[in-house]
Amino acid sequence: MTREEIKQAVFNVLDEINQELPQEKQLEKSETTVLFGKFGQLDSLGLVNLIVAIEEKLQEECNVSITLADERAMSQRNSPFRTVASLIDYIAMLLNEEID
Amino acid sequence: MLIDFLLAVFEKNNEKNAIVWKDKTYSYAWLLERINYWQNRIQSENIEKGKVVVLEADFSPNSIALFLALMEHACILVPLTRSIESQQAEFIEIAQAEISFSIDDNDHLKITKLPNVAHHEFYTRLKTSSHAGLVLFSSGSTGKSKAAVHDLVKLLEKFKIPRYNYITLTFLLYDHIGGLETMFYTLSNGGCIVTAQTRSPDRILERVEKYKVELLPVSPTFINLILLSESYKRYDLSSLKIVTYGTEPMPESTLARFQGLFPHIKLIQKYGLSELGILRSKSKSSNSLWVKVGGEGFQTRVVEGILQIKASSAMLGYLNAPTPFIEDGWFNTKDVVEIDGEYLKILGRQSEIINVGGEKVYPAEVESVIQSFDNVAEVTVYGEQNAITGNIVCAKVRLLKEEDKKPLTKRLKHYCREHLQNYKVPVKVKIVEEKQYSERFKKIRQNNQRDHPETPISNGMSFRAK
Repeated sequence: MTREEIKQAVFNVLDEINQELPQEKQLEKSETTVLFGKFGQLDSLGLVNLIVAIEEKLQEECNVSITLADERAMSQRNSPFRTVASLIDYIAMLLNEEID
Repeated sequence: MLIDFLLAVFEKNNEKNAIVWKDKTYSYAWLLERINYWQNRIQSENIEKGKVVVLEADFSPNSIALFLALMEHACILVPLTRSIESQQAEFIEIAQAEISFSIDDNDHLKITKLPNVAHHEFYTRLKTSSHAGLVLFSSGSTGKSKAAVHDLVKLLEKFKIPRYNYITLTFLLYDHIGGLETMFYTLSNGGCIVTAQTRSPDRILERVEKYKVELLPVSPTFINLILLSESYKRYDLSSLKIVTYGTEPMPESTLARFQGLFPHIKLIQKYGLSELGILRSKSKSSNSLWVKVGGEGFQTRVVEGILQIKASSAMLGYLNAPTPFIEDGWFNTKDVVEIDGEYLKILGRQSEIINVGGEKVYPAEVESVIQSFDNVAEVTVYGEQNAITGNIVCAKVRLLKEEDKKPLTKRLKHYCREHLQNYKVPVKVKIVEEKQYSERFKKIRQNNQRDHPETPISNGMSFRAK
């Protein structure tokens, strides 16, 4: 999967999640959107739901099975869940490792 | 001796029906004679008092008469049914059974002497006091089954108090504390036992109609199946006075639906454990999960939200595990309860609580909401580990009719969000095809530490809600 394809998959999930959120809480489809942490728009439960939805999307549409929320993700120096961009990068990295 | 009080009841009800098996009825006079027959047979087979005897059977005229005759002979009984066929050899070994009585579908008996010599401190204690014993296996789905040894003299004590007599269907099994409770309650009050050879909703309700059954002890899973199969529409259930439920938590939505359909039926929650017997119980009302439990010989207390019970009929202990009793004979049920005055509400097993970022989620509450959603046949809610919140709530759902999974999952989550706090809403919903209940009509849970008590009857029936 190219980074662009991953980005598209993440944006599609954001669309789905936004459908369930009130206007003011919706997540902007932008790489700079801050997800979690200082000024983040999600609480831990919201983050879990986003991550599981992305995992399921990658499984269904691209047939790749990865775990985004695990000890490894939690122990990264820079949290992969900080922004949409960092999340896309983290997914790309995991997928690359799969291929290797 | 031990069964004298039962024999007196049988004499008094001589002409009444004691048992309906297949399409034949058997009177109390027949039962008295049959007990006598088996007592003679036990003598002629040279079975010594205190022997550990396996009874492989389901409820039938001979299995009931033989049970009583063996009790009178102070044997230690190990009832087993076909539902545990795969573990039968293991159970016989754990119990160190010395003789096997096997009763087939035609009510014919085969006696086999086994090569074991039973030897256990609890058995010695029973033999020394010439008390009949009973070995019951917990049906925990993980780990080894535990064998609880009871003194039948203690277990039977409460049946000496006369209560109501009902035509009762023995739905719970012959090797289960609930099934045995049903049998003793019915017989000790001169009621009539209606047996069932097949335990599907239609076959059970057919017998309710045909034999005008008044008391039906079942599990919540089975009530759900009655509703789903719509079998209740095909039979006349006007004879039913009481339905008791136990062995696992009842989804509030299922209870409300059943009560709405059958306002004339009194619904009573039962609570008991293989280790302690079954408590007397009183539901606040037919549509309430609040229940008062206790009765003669049972004391209850709640410690840090967990129900503890002290029972005079408690088992002596496990054959194959250390004693679970805490100080002074109290037993930790590991069931989490809420209290309102004298009433309790059983929230679920401590081991099944899902901890989501510090918040507790009880599977039963989430299941009740999902169960009330359109097209859901059954659901099991469980936790899955997650690095962010510790655990997440997941649901495994079986549908009634096939349906496009994606939109359904979306609607279902939306429905949950409307009815539950955020952290209780399942993050993952899996649509599955396999049924989620055991042969005992109880939900199969992945993390079961042990079974809920199941129970039944007595003056209801009950079980522990798991």
